Amino acid sequence: MLDVTGLRKIYRGGDREVEAVRDLTFSLADGELACLVGPSGCGKTTLLKCISGLMRPTSGTVRVDGREVTGPPPGMAVVFQEYGRSLFPWLTVQDNVELPLKEKRLPKARRKKLVTESLEAVGLGHAASAHPWELSGGMQQRVAIARAIAYEPSVLLMDEPFAAVDAQTRADLEDLVRGLWKRFSMTVLFVTHDIDEAVYLGGRVLVLSSSPTVVQDDVEIDLGDERDQLSTRSEPRFAELRARVYAEIQNAKQGAAAGGAGR
Amino acid sequence: MTAATTGRTAAPAGRLLRLPKALLRVLLLPAVLIAVWWWASATSGSYYMPTPDVIVQTFGEVWTAERFTVDVLPSVGLLLTGYALAAVIGVGLGLPLGMSPKLRALVEPVLEFLRAIPPPVLVPLLMLLIGLDSSMRAAVIVSGCVWPVLLNTIEGVRAVDPVLADTCRVYRIRGRRRLTTLVLRSASPQIMAGLRQALSLAIILMVISEMFASSSGLGFAIVQFQRSFAIPEMWSGIILLGLLGVLLSVLFALVERKALGWYRGVRAASRGE
Repeated sequence: MLDVTGLRKIYRGGDREVEAVRDLTFSLADGELACLVGPSGCGKTTLLKCISGLMRPTSGTVRVDGREVTGPPPGMAVVFQEYGRSLFPWLTVQDNVELPLKEKRLPKARRKKLVTESLEAVGLGHAASAHPWELSGGMQQRVAIARAIAYEPSVLLMDEPFAAVDAQTRADLEDLVRGLWKRFSMTVLFVTHDIDEAVYLGGRVLVLSSSPTVVQDDVEIDLGDERDQLSTRSEPRFAELRARVYAEIQNAKQGAAAGGAGR
Repeated sequence: MTAATTGRTAAPAGRLLRLPKALLRVLLLPAVLIAVWWWASATSGSYYMPTPDVIVQTFGEVWTAERFTVDVLPSVGLLLTGYALAAVIGVGLGLPLGMSPKLRALVEPVLEFLRAIPPPVLVPLLMLLIGLDSSMRAAVIVSGCVWPVLLNTIEGVRAVDPVLADTCRVYRIRGRRRLTTLVLRSASPQIMAGLRQALSLAIILMVISEMFASSSGLGFAIVQFQRSFAIPEMWSGIILLGLLGVLLSVLFALVERKALGWYRGVRAASRGE
């Protein structure tokens, strides 16, 4: 469904070159929910921009559904970290959700149905005619998620979507994402810096190294399909997986530090 | 007004008192100024400084319905035509210039030069080029008003939020829909700021163009009164111009309120209200 092959990104500024991503290769199967974690500054955002077609990689390819990505592909939705800046403040909640559907040229009745359904699905049926700035941060991010679902994407990218919301809201939103993923059968790539979140959410966790980035580890999360904030997080297996991912990230950081010291 | 109302909202006595209080606050300074003027003009006894009552009386005599149709309405029409043209040209040129850095680099030095020319000096030139008719006067207004609109539009368009722009790209929102839903709307606070500056410029330029080169209109009438030593009449014209300015800015505030409701909301929310 989503194939990333030999992805490399070098930023050129004047005569300086910064290699942000060195060599990334991974693929997601259709309907998979995978999380990407890595130490801060490891090029997660660069990677996501390349996958979503917002940025051209220096070399390597990204394929969605077998087609190479050269610009934002149809059938892909992105939920950004900065929810406050990704919604149109001059549009109401429902107009925000409907806007991409207009560009898709869906008939009016169909648009209406999708908007209502997706707002219901994120628990915001009552807030359809509000403006985004009248809502709390968590609710704004729900609107962004509703907009993504209404778009009926085959691939959903989420770029640290819950980094800026409080812990309780975050737990609710995590369960929401898992619920929506099951209900709408999309392929989801979820980028986060939070190890617990990655293990709790994903069927698979890809651990990235420090910049210049490679895939350091690919961890299968065998926690079953039904997950619960309380019981799942207290399972011994959860703790094991969490420890493994944590150790990998520590390794990645130390590798980078050693590399930096030894030059 | 807001500071005083937030503190005591519950007391009914406070609510009853609020309207007269608000009125008082609005009218206090004008009343004081008129009183000072009255006193000054009465004690100086200058021929050129008539007392307010004389001016008010003259106002009623001078600005009759006939004079309104001959002098005032054409002036207002001229003002609005020039202003509207400047708005369309300013926003129309500002959009491509704001969106394209290359175009901007090409045009910017010329813009800076043109902007630095005071529009009134164009009056003699435009008189020669276009003639003495009203299109010349509209051209003077346009030549002055277009700059604040243009420059503010460019800045507003440049400042489109990159996350919002990425959102549009991801959802493949392009062309006209992108222009109207993303670019124009996010630049609208700055475009409105430019339009507000342009409005006061438009009034000034309307009067100047009519003083220089016209046989009717408000500016012409005021100069005519002054030349024929009809001093209270001249003063009444100045007062009428002031009132026109106030009326236009009230109308502008109403439009702005409607167009930028979301902007006030966003700002209130970010202040943590």
